[in-house]
Amino acid sequence: MKPLPELTADEQRRYEWQLTVRDFGMEGQRRLKRATVLISRIGGVGGSAALQLAAAGIGRLILAHAGNVRLDDLNRQLLMTTESLGRPRIESAARRLRELNPHVEIETVAENICEGNVAELVGRCDVVVSAAPLFTERLLMNRQAVRWQKPLVDCSMYDLEARLMTVLPGRTPCLECLYPEPPPNWKRQFPVFSAVSCTVGSLAAMETIKVIAGFGGPLAGRLLLGDLRDMSFRTLPIARREDCAACGA
Amino acid sequence: MNVSVEFTGQLRTAMGHANDWVELPEGATVAMLLVQLGQRCGEAARTHLLNASKQPQPSLLVAINGTAFPSRQAASTVLSEGDTVVLLPPIAGG
Repeated sequence: MKPLPELTADEQRRYEWQLTVRDFGMEGQRRLKRATVLISRIGGVGGSAALQLAAAGIGRLILAHAGNVRLDDLNRQLLMTTESLGRPRIESAARRLRELNPHVEIETVAENICEGNVAELVGRCDVVVSAAPLFTERLLMNRQAVRWQKPLVDCSMYDLEARLMTVLPGRTPCLECLYPEPPPNWKRQFPVFSAVSCTVGSLAAMETIKVIAGFGGPLAGRLLLGDLRDMSFRTLPIARREDCAACGA
Repeated sequence: MNVSVEFTGQLRTAMGHANDWVELPEGATVAMLLVQLGQRCGEAARTHLLNASKQPQPSLLVAINGTAFPSRQAASTVLSEGDTVVLLPPIAGG
């Protein structure tokens, strides 16, 4: 692993208010600067996670998302702008993140996660944030995260519901332990307010920060369920599955 | 006996409500609960509960009294009066 980089005076000033977070401090900040995070899709959930991770000072973000900005993206995809309609989503996202924090390296991949790119992309990162609207992509990411022993934060929502789990390969259940097969009836177009997708993305970013900086308690072996309809949040214990085809626990 | 059932995600939308009490015979299992629910709900909800062979849908996650298991692992669990069951089809909204 690369040695921890020093922070410049400008970076120390930028992050001053978070450097006082208990158990985080300068070493935590330097760990964030050293880290590379892959985010699969930068829509409502992944885009919000990217925004939070850029603000926090992750060293390098790899963003994977195909397609151009559409009008019906703009109720929730906060990295996209009206001005960028019809242009690649990834361009708008990179510009917004660089405006927020020029210290963060932004690598763009104008493709969705697929069999052809997933191993290389996961292999080059330290943590994966999985936020694709298709379950097959999530399971692909999970397989590679397990293979490369990379922590994976799986964050999803539907309507006013939120779900989040953190996979620490070899230690916790993986996504496939819970869901051995893709659901036959998931519809890609789902009901969503930005306030919900941003909440989930922000929670995923906090998990990622904790995992990288090594403080707090991640959702290891627990599934977070949130329902913003009645503002209830709870965690359910989850277990590894001995016959899991991905992690073979 | 009666067990409390909570529906989440697209299953909640398909059922049209979030919670239900279900009456089952003594010794009933999670698989029997899913079949009973499948008999009284519409097709849209049934596909979240059962596959074409009327077996528990493999992608369904089932939490029994606060601990979650894949449906096939949970299927043979014998339920008791007052148990709470949360049915969690996968969601992937991103």
